[in-house]
Amino acid sequence: MAEQKVKFIVNGRSYEIPIEPHMTLVEVLRDKLDITGTKISCGAGECGACTVLIDGKAVLSCLTLAITAREKNILTIEGLAEKGNLHPIQKAFIDGGAIQCGFCTPGMILATKALLDKNPNPTHEEVKQGLAGNLCRCTGYVKIIDAVLAAAQKMRKGGS
Amino acid sequence: MTRPLKPFVYFEPSTIKEAVQILDTYGTKAKVLAGGVDLVARMRLRQIRPEYVVSILNIPKLDYIQSDGAGLKFGALVTIRSLELSPKVQKNYAILYEAASQIASVQVKNMGTAVGNLCVATPASDIAAALYALSAKLRIISPVSERVIPIEEFFIGVNQTVLKPGEIVTEVIVPSPAPQTGGAFFKLVRTTSDIAKVNVAVSLTVTDNTCREARVALGSVAPTVIRANQAEEALKRSRLEPKAVEEAAQLAAQEAKPITDLRSTVEYRSEMVRVLVRRAMEKALTRVRT
Repeated sequence: MAEQKVKFIVNGRSYEIPIEPHMTLVEVLRDKLDITGTKISCGAGECGACTVLIDGKAVLSCLTLAITAREKNILTIEGLAEKGNLHPIQKAFIDGGAIQCGFCTPGMILATKALLDKNPNPTHEEVKQGLAGNLCRCTGYVKIIDAVLAAAQKMRKGGS
Repeated sequence: MTRPLKPFVYFEPSTIKEAVQILDTYGTKAKVLAGGVDLVARMRLRQIRPEYVVSILNIPKLDYIQSDGAGLKFGALVTIRSLELSPKVQKNYAILYEAASQIASVQVKNMGTAVGNLCVATPASDIAAALYALSAKLRIISPVSERVIPIEEFFIGVNQTVLKPGEIVTEVIVPSPAPQTGGAFFKLVRTTSDIAKVNVAVSLTVTDNTCREARVALGSVAPTVIRANQAEEALKRSRLEPKAVEEAAQLAAQEAKPITDLRSTVEYRSEMVRVLVRRAMEKALTRVRT
């Protein structure tokens, strides 16, 4: 099918590019826009590595047809830091050693952001549920959950 | 595998009428896109290869949850996450809430619609089991007709429904539970993101300590979700003492017709039907009495 020009809003910036309807959002982000922080792994909705936020909700960009995300607010890992300052969640992951190989990290952090935006003071169990769709093959879940709780605490105090 | 999707012709109708006309025109070559969780994953795996994809995402008035004295209604674009977070569902339809809240992940539930989940017609559908126990009906629209059918008449087999080309499900209708009714949903999974080995939804109506109405739905143990009719009959008019509950659970286990696959065995699934039906009945009873 013919390409068509579509407007995407990624991390607050507009892009108008030609795409085809069978392209998934992660392909457009990575291959068309060169925004490669979003990872692609299983392609089947199991691993969460491709998680981005669309209008504030965590979704899987590998199962989203890009055309359906046009003109919506897409947030990727690149959009979290402000003016060169890491987001408190990013800082908490680094400080807590919640990153090993790093491949799951963008998805983990965006799933965390979606969780904390709705629930600033989650329990340990709520963090586990919020991140149930994100796999870490380095099995670093303990530190990841601790980092989310630490980030939540810091954000509640308004700190960065 | 993360290979790209095969190209297709994409439609984005803005009315139901337009959508069913396109679907009618292209028949089995067309697929409906709502959340895309199942469709896009299976297209990537080449399990299906539609030439036409018809997105219903831009059709207005399909994303609503309404609740009144008569019951609950929700549209085809309501996500599983919206059901889970709906105070109306949480308060009055515990079975549906428990099913929705235990499904996979936040991301999958943010994308996947409850109606889409039904149309995939997996025998492991938690939503389907819950809606069997709640006596739900489905509104089906074609270019020339509209009908409302009980959910039990919707499924034919694994991945098969009564939907004909050109038909879509637009609404789920759940009657308000009768007074003195309690329900519960239980499932057994390997990991939270996996589909059920067994799931069970039970609804009991009890007055004067006697069971008046019972619905026992079993998932993942037959080609479609089924009701355990013998267990239900045994419960009706019983005093629901522990022995009666255990006997009904035993009957349900006999009615299940599971298979052995990578997730579980026939024997284990049957035994777990017995355990989960008993637990669900006990939980449902506590809810009738409080």
